[in-house]
Amino acid sequence: MTVTTETPAVPEQRRHAMRVRKRDGALEPVDVNKIVRAVELWVGDLDEVDPLRVATKTISGLYDGATTAELDKLSIQTAAELIGEEPQYSRLAARLLAAYVDKEVRGQGVASFSQSIRYAYDQGLIGDETAAFVARNARKLDDAVDVDGDRRFEYFGLRTVADRYLLRHPQTRLVVETPQYWLLRVACGLSTNPAEAIAFYRLMSSLAYLPSSPTLFNSGTRHTQMSSCFLVDSPRDELDSIYERYHQVAKLSKFSGGIGISWSRIRGRGALIRGTNGRSNGIVPFLKTLDAGVAAVNQGGRRKGAACVYLEPWHPDVEEFLELRDNTGEDSRRTHNLNLANWIPDEFMRRVEADEDWSLVDPSDAPELPDLFGEAFDDAYRAAEKKAVKTVKARDLYGRMMRTLAQTGNGWMTFKDPSNRLSNQTGAPGNAIHLSNLCTEILEVNSDDETAVCNLGSINLGAHLTAEGVDWDKLRATVRTAVVFLDRVIDINYYPSEQAAASNPRWRPVGLGLMGLQDAFFSLRLPFDSDAARELSTRVQEEILLTALETSAGMAEEFGAHPAFAETRAARGDLHPDLWGATPTQTARWDALRGRIAATGLRNSLLVAIAPTATIASIAGCYECIEPQVSNLFKRETMSGEFLQINTYLVRELKALGRWTPEVRDQIKRSEGSVQGIESLPADVRELFRTAWELPQRALIDLAAARAPYIDQSQSLNLFLSVPTIGKLSSMYLYAWKSGLKTTYYLRSRPATRIQQATVSIVPVADAEALACSLENPESCEACQ
Amino acid sequence: MTLLNPGLDLTLRPMRYPAFFDRFKDAIKNTWTVEEVDLHTDLADLAKLSPAEQHLVSRLVAFFATGDTIVANNLVLNLYQHVNSPEGRLYLSRQLFEEAVHVQFYLNLLDTYVPDEQQRFEAFAAVENIPSIRRKAEFCFKWIDSIFELRELKTRDDRRAFLLNLICFAACIEGLFFYGAFAYVYFLRSRGVLHGLASGTNWVFRDESMHMAFAFDVVDTVRREEPDLFDADLEKQVTAMMEEAVECEVQFAEDLLEQGVSGLSLADMRSYLQHVADRRLAVLGIAARYGSKNPFAFMELQDVQELSNFFERRVSAYQVGVTGTVAFDDDF
Repeated sequence: MTVTTETPAVPEQRRHAMRVRKRDGALEPVDVNKIVRAVELWVGDLDEVDPLRVATKTISGLYDGATTAELDKLSIQTAAELIGEEPQYSRLAARLLAAYVDKEVRGQGVASFSQSIRYAYDQGLIGDETAAFVARNARKLDDAVDVDGDRRFEYFGLRTVADRYLLRHPQTRLVVETPQYWLLRVACGLSTNPAEAIAFYRLMSSLAYLPSSPTLFNSGTRHTQMSSCFLVDSPRDELDSIYERYHQVAKLSKFSGGIGISWSRIRGRGALIRGTNGRSNGIVPFLKTLDAGVAAVNQGGRRKGAACVYLEPWHPDVEEFLELRDNTGEDSRRTHNLNLANWIPDEFMRRVEADEDWSLVDPSDAPELPDLFGEAFDDAYRAAEKKAVKTVKARDLYGRMMRTLAQTGNGWMTFKDPSNRLSNQTGAPGNAIHLSNLCTEILEVNSDDETAVCNLGSINLGAHLTAEGVDWDKLRATVRTAVVFLDRVIDINYYPSEQAAASNPRWRPVGLGLMGLQDAFFSLRLPFDSDAARELSTRVQEEILLTALETSAGMAEEFGAHPAFAETRAARGDLHPDLWGATPTQTARWDALRGRIAATGLRNSLLVAIAPTATIASIAGCYECIEPQVSNLFKRETMSGEFLQINTYLVRELKALGRWTPEVRDQIKRSEGSVQGIESLPADVRELFRTAWELPQRALIDLAAARAPYIDQSQSLNLFLSVPTIGKLSSMYLYAWKSGLKTTYYLRSRPATRIQQATVSIVPVADAEALACSLENPESCEACQ
Repeated sequence: MTLLNPGLDLTLRPMRYPAFFDRFKDAIKNTWTVEEVDLHTDLADLAKLSPAEQHLVSRLVAFFATGDTIVANNLVLNLYQHVNSPEGRLYLSRQLFEEAVHVQFYLNLLDTYVPDEQQRFEAFAAVENIPSIRRKAEFCFKWIDSIFELRELKTRDDRRAFLLNLICFAACIEGLFFYGAFAYVYFLRSRGVLHGLASGTNWVFRDESMHMAFAFDVVDTVRREEPDLFDADLEKQVTAMMEEAVECEVQFAEDLLEQGVSGLSLADMRSYLQHVADRRLAVLGIAARYGSKNPFAFMELQDVQELSNFFERRVSAYQVGVTGTVAFDDDF
């Protein structure tokens, strides 16, 4: 064997050769001590990080002649890459990044908040009113900036903020505001006086509450489109209306809105078109056009446009609809960018359960169906069945829905009847909810000329805890501030379509949500599926709805009820828990509230909705909405890159047990973020740190159903099955429907096999052989079969 | 009868190698198509990359342009005829399909990335014109040719030659050349650029991992059935082959990184390749040749579950071929 001896003495070579190009163009040898000192500045209270390690690893990744800016960026990246070993590196990387951003802002001559607004205004980025407000109150506002505010961010959160939320110079693309300036700008865009702005800024800066991304993107700017969700009614069954909808969707999408749109009124394939005496090609070609339209709008480069199409399962094209996301078949009949949801009447589920037939009816034969729910729908549907285009077994169609869910995660199950029956907005005849939104948490009435709109924000429950449990006073205070500012958006908002502008002032709906429920459960050591966890989640939700209603009643006393109040169920004294027949615990407060609503009404028709919080939970550094953790160790993929996420609660626990070792880390990685195989961990620790894949999904549904009476819209409830089968899925979704849930969201599952791991140790071949030949393991032994 | 006995076994029942059949079924669940990969944001990213990074990407896609085709050729010309098990051949048929999808993906990628027709032709001719890619291709051709004339594995030497070819394609070509390429893609991906390349390549890698695992299954099966084929001499040959592969890949890295890419130094790349080579040897039960550590923390990101924000990325973690019938009392 020839052994080549060319392996170079790498560190030696590096020490001599590595030079860095300074901003003035001069080359200078890289000095490790200089990097160490630069990193040390930011260590502070982080006792587990090693600046020398960051410095040497940074240098090892550098090439000769790299610029100092590259060096700075690489040291941030390097610190971030150590998060898997020690979560404190996340804070360190965030601080290095904050310093980098700060330098970039100051480099443009911006030294204060008011200067940053002025500078951005000159670049055409800030609205006139906000610019004037800040100029009037410059000193107060400048003094309010919390200089240590950025220290609260984790790396992933701050990276997201820096890459996508901070305003950038239109030409140089340099950021023109620091993270704290950004939050203060958002607050100023929604405030009428400095005290209010500062209070709202402090709440956001503490990461205890964040409004949704469109508000964080656009508040205070020239285009103040701050709503997250738009619910567009199905086009009428005619070409002009269909093309009007494409136009409307494009406009709504451009300014960061997520779109829900129904397609239930459009006739199916083969139906007669009287004008030309031809036959319709059905809904698929039109949805293909919608698909391309949605993909073309990119929301200012910050995220892609996104839409979800809702269809009722009696529509004749429902089977083709369910195939729109398949990855096989003719591509002209596939829509890779659209999300799909089923808008299911109870009658369908009853027939599934009873194993009966189900009729597909063309909307041109029964145009009233999309507007009806409950018994009125049941009667009209049974009458329309005489004109059925086709009859299928209800179970066969249900099975196809389950297959679509399993194979694409799409085809969300949302339930038309409870959504309408249990809504405050459907108190008057003629008002109907026709669909939910892109994330299945918003349920609002709409029509041909009213597009429903919703502004969202979420409370970080993890930031409302004491050693004993939830800090209820703090939670109430947060809800009060949040509701006022959500309501404020309605009046300041820029509405991209006239249909949206027509709806929102009448109903004034808002969606106050929750995130970090899993953080609270970890902190209080409550297993996700425990009775105590369910009880706590329900009480939190009651507190949020009750306080939100109180706040809205207070605003009604001051500014008047929303114009459509008379059409709501609340006007007749039925509040959301009453619709469910639930028994609240805070009886005295609910009674007092009823009196106030009877006297002066409510400022908002809807108040609570639990959104997925995908991005804002990252910014706040907490778990998403009401979701269990997906894994103790995983990565997030975003437009900013990939980020390792580690369960810091688990790491803390393992450190206390003296078990945070390379071997245990390897073991967690090998088992894809599970700790169930680590037998040296106490059973209660393993139980607490189960992942979404390891929890009974029944518990997730039970928790959702228990809190549902205190959510007047709905919740984005994901369900998780590693290996979905049609049997499991059909059982699970029947249970969800029977539990009374209005909507469900994605079905999450996992790939059948994975990429071979590159950074965990391999099991030696000798062991594999021993196993293969062992008579103790007849199943694994191929040799003896 | 052993796996390498010459012949055309057609008997699926009783099944001799059920593990091969399981791999076939798992592979089907991972079916993906090129149309699912959205490349439209990549073009904007390409324009933003530094000249050094653009050079890296252009070399990388030039390698991808022909890499999978070479693997597919060896599969058809050499592996399929000698793995005498119908279930094993089922898997290889599936693998061939996957290689074809990969070829289509990279074809689509190049057509998108390289709008100029002449430059596109040059990229596909890289295997002739670009020395660092040519050297890798020659290594592959040498090993394809090594058993090309063999119609049947009659002698011990024949079977040894087959094993070396199999190990070469699994450990050196899919296991090192492709894994080297993966490191570049993952580096870019960890920096948040070229999502289209990253998501398609991610699916390619998922397939490649299976190909490699299947090939090592075959090696282990042969080892059980004919242990005398494995001796110190074979180990020496494999180690020498691996050394040559590492050299090929290091000279490729020198070309890719010649203009300096921050976060991806040549010295780190070399350690990474040596580390991967050691891992391949370890799977084969052969002592480590280099003792190098993995310097790339970003590779760790590939070892953990992914969670995509659907607003930003297409969620890729789904299966096809889900089975079962409607039921109401299944456990969930």
